Amino acid sequence: MKLTIYHLYPDLLDLYGDRGNIIALAARCKWRGIDVEVRQVSLGEELDFSQADLVFLGGGSDREQTLLIADLDLRAKGLNQAIEEGLVVLAICGGFQILGGYFLKADGQKIPGLGLLDFYTVAGKKRLIGNVIAELDSEFKEEMEAVYAPREQTATGPEVLKTLVGFENHSGRTYLGSGLRPLAKIIRGYGNNGEDFLEGVRYKNVFGTYLHGPLLPKNPHLADLLLSLALKRKGENFRLAPLEDNIEIAAHQAILARFSKEKG
Amino acid sequence: MILRFWLALWLGKIVNIVLKALGKKGTSFPGYLAYRICPSIISLLASSFPEGAVLITGTNGKTTTNNLLASICRAQGKKVAFNKEGSNMLQGITGVLLQNTSFLGKNRADLLLLEVDEGTVPALLKQITPRVMILTNFFRDQLDRYGELDTTVKLVKESLPSDTELILNADDPLVAQIGSGRPKVYYYGSKSLPISQKESREAREGRYCAHCGQELRYTLFHYGQLGIYECTECGFKRPAPYLEAQEVFQDESGITFWLDREYKVPLQGYYNLYNALAAFCAAERLGISRENIHLGLINYVSAAGRMEQFTLPGFQLTLNLIKNPTGFNQVITTLAGLNKPLYLLLVINDLAADGRDVSWLWDTELEILCQPEDKIKGVVCSGLRAEDMALRLKYAGLKPEKIIIEKSLPKAVELLENFKPDGNEAVYVLPNYTPLFPIRDILLAKRVKEAARA
Repeated sequence: MKLTIYHLYPDLLDLYGDRGNIIALAARCKWRGIDVEVRQVSLGEELDFSQADLVFLGGGSDREQTLLIADLDLRAKGLNQAIEEGLVVLAICGGFQILGGYFLKADGQKIPGLGLLDFYTVAGKKRLIGNVIAELDSEFKEEMEAVYAPREQTATGPEVLKTLVGFENHSGRTYLGSGLRPLAKIIRGYGNNGEDFLEGVRYKNVFGTYLHGPLLPKNPHLADLLLSLALKRKGENFRLAPLEDNIEIAAHQAILARFSKEKG
Repeated sequence: MILRFWLALWLGKIVNIVLKALGKKGTSFPGYLAYRICPSIISLLASSFPEGAVLITGTNGKTTTNNLLASICRAQGKKVAFNKEGSNMLQGITGVLLQNTSFLGKNRADLLLLEVDEGTVPALLKQITPRVMILTNFFRDQLDRYGELDTTVKLVKESLPSDTELILNADDPLVAQIGSGRPKVYYYGSKSLPISQKESREAREGRYCAHCGQELRYTLFHYGQLGIYECTECGFKRPAPYLEAQEVFQDESGITFWLDREYKVPLQGYYNLYNALAAFCAAERLGISRENIHLGLINYVSAAGRMEQFTLPGFQLTLNLIKNPTGFNQVITTLAGLNKPLYLLLVINDLAADGRDVSWLWDTELEILCQPEDKIKGVVCSGLRAEDMALRLKYAGLKPEKIIIEKSLPKAVELLENFKPDGNEAVYVLPNYTPLFPIRDILLAKRVKEAARA
C-alpha cells in the first residue's frame, strides 16, 4: 500500500504552519505501515495529477498568490478531470480561494480563480481572525466513523470528535453557489464570510477551508477521512487501524473547552 | 495644551507611585492614563534629551540590541533612559518617559533608547524624530495583529523621516531594501557564519525581490532569509556593509568576531552577532569610541529571559524566550549543538501579546531535536496552549511517553525538577512572551542564593 501526496507550491503557500498538515498525513500513514511519498511541486515544475492520490494547497500572502494562479491555470484541465474522478484535495485559505471563480479585490480588480468550483470571494475591510469551532453534519459524521474498522463501544478514538477546530485569518469573504455544500457549520468564529455561518466547501473529495491551526493534527478524524478516501479511490482497503490519539483529542477538546462559550 | 501636559505628567507619576506602594509592578496603566490625557506627551518628553533619541525596531533582537547599546553608552559615561520589552507600544513608552522625568519636567538622562513594536513605529514617528534608527530584521511574527508581513514592512518604510540616520541589516533583504535610494544609511552584516549554507529549507519571508517581485538568488544562507543575495532581474543586491563581521565563531563563553580587531559578546546564538553589530553600528554613529564599544559588548550582562542562567537545588537551567519560528529555530540549533541530552519545559500562551495564533509552532525545525532517539529525555508542556506544543513534539517524532502536559506553571516546574537532572543533561525552560515573567518569578524563588552556594 502506498499513497502519493502532492504538496503544491510549498515555497509560496507556506503561511501559518500549514505544512503541519503534510506532516500529519505522512505521520499517520507511517504509524499504520502505509508507505507515503510527498512530492513538492512549485512554479513550472512537472505535475501529473493522474499520479496523485492526495493534493494539498496551503495559504499564502496576496502577492505570492497572484504569482501562482498563472502557473496553476495551465494545469487546471488536468486538475479538474482528476477532481471529477475523485482525487482527494485539501485546500486552505488562499489555496481554497483559488479553486473558485474569482477574487474581487478592494480596488475593484477581479482576479480570476481556476473556476473549478462554483463560489467566489470578495475582499473585506476587516480581517476575520480568531479561533474557530465548526460542527459537522450527521452525514459527514457517519462518513468519518465508517473510516475505522468497527470497534468496541468503549474505545475512545478520533471518532468521538464531532467538530472541526482551527484558527482563521483572512480578509476574503467567500460565498458558495447554491449547489455546493459547506464543510461544516460555524459555532464560533466567522467561517467563509461571517454572515451565513458556513465554513469551507465539500465537493466530491475536494475539501476547501479557512482553517489553519494547522488543521489536520488537531482534527485527526478529518486527516483519517482524507487518507481513507485516497485509499478507497485506489481500490485499496480503506478501513484504517485506530491510533493512540490522546494528545490529538486533548488538543481538539482544549479548544472546545476554552472557546465554545465565547462568541466571535 | 500646557495644562494638559502637566496634568498628564503629574497624574501619571502619582498613579505610578500609588501603584508601586500597593505592590503592583510592571503595569502600563500610568502610561495609558497620561497618554489619554495628553497624546502629545511623548513628543514633549522625548524631545528634551540633549543627545536625542535612538529607535530600534524589527521582529527579533530589539530587546537585546537595546540593552547592548545601553551597555556601550554607559561604558562611554553616558546616562541613558531606555524601555524594556513589553513596554514598546505607545502607552508603555509613555510610562518609561514618565519614570525618567521629574515632577518639574526635567529628564534625568542624556540619551533616549527606545525599542518599538513594528506596528507602533508609524504612530511613534509622528511624535519623535530620532537621531538614529535601527532596523534589525523582519520575520513572521504575530501576523494576526498586523495582517501579513509585507504590509508591516511597507508601513514602517513609509513612516521613516528623511533626517534620521538608518542602521540597517544588510543581510536581510526585507530590511536592506528600505535603504535603497536613501541618504544616511549605514549597513551592517556578516560575510559568513559557521552555520551558513548554500541551500536552506527554512520558511523564508524575503525570498522575492521587494522592488520587482523576482525570486532572489542566494549564494549563501546565514539563517532564515538572511544571507548573501541578489536579484537577477533588477540588480537589487545585498548592499556593501559599513560594518562587516569576519571570522565569526561561537563557544560556550559567547561569540567572537573580527572587524578592525577582535570583539566578543558573551551571548550564545548567532542571531546575537547581529544584535551586537546593530548596537555597534549605532554606537559609532553616536560618536562612541571603539574601545568603549568593545568594553560595552564584553561586559554585557544578559537581559531577563535571554539565555539567562539559574541554579536550582541539584542542577542548573537556562531560561530563554521563544516568541516566533525564527527565534525558536535559533534555540533549536543551539540545543542540537550541545553534546548533551535535554530536559525541556516549554510554555506556550496565546494571549494578545503572544499572538493569538500558535500555528507558528509548526514552522519550526523541532524534528532536529525530536528524531534522534536519546536527545530529549523528557519534556513538560505548559501554558494555555500546552496541548498544541505537545502535539507538535509528537509529530516531530518524539515518543508520546516522554511528553507531560501540565497547565499549572508551579506544577510544571516541579515536574521538571522531578526529572532529577544530574549535570549530564542540559535543562532549558523556553516560554513565549506572556509566561516569561511568571515562570521567571517561580525560578527566582527556587534559585539557590549565591551565599548558600559558596
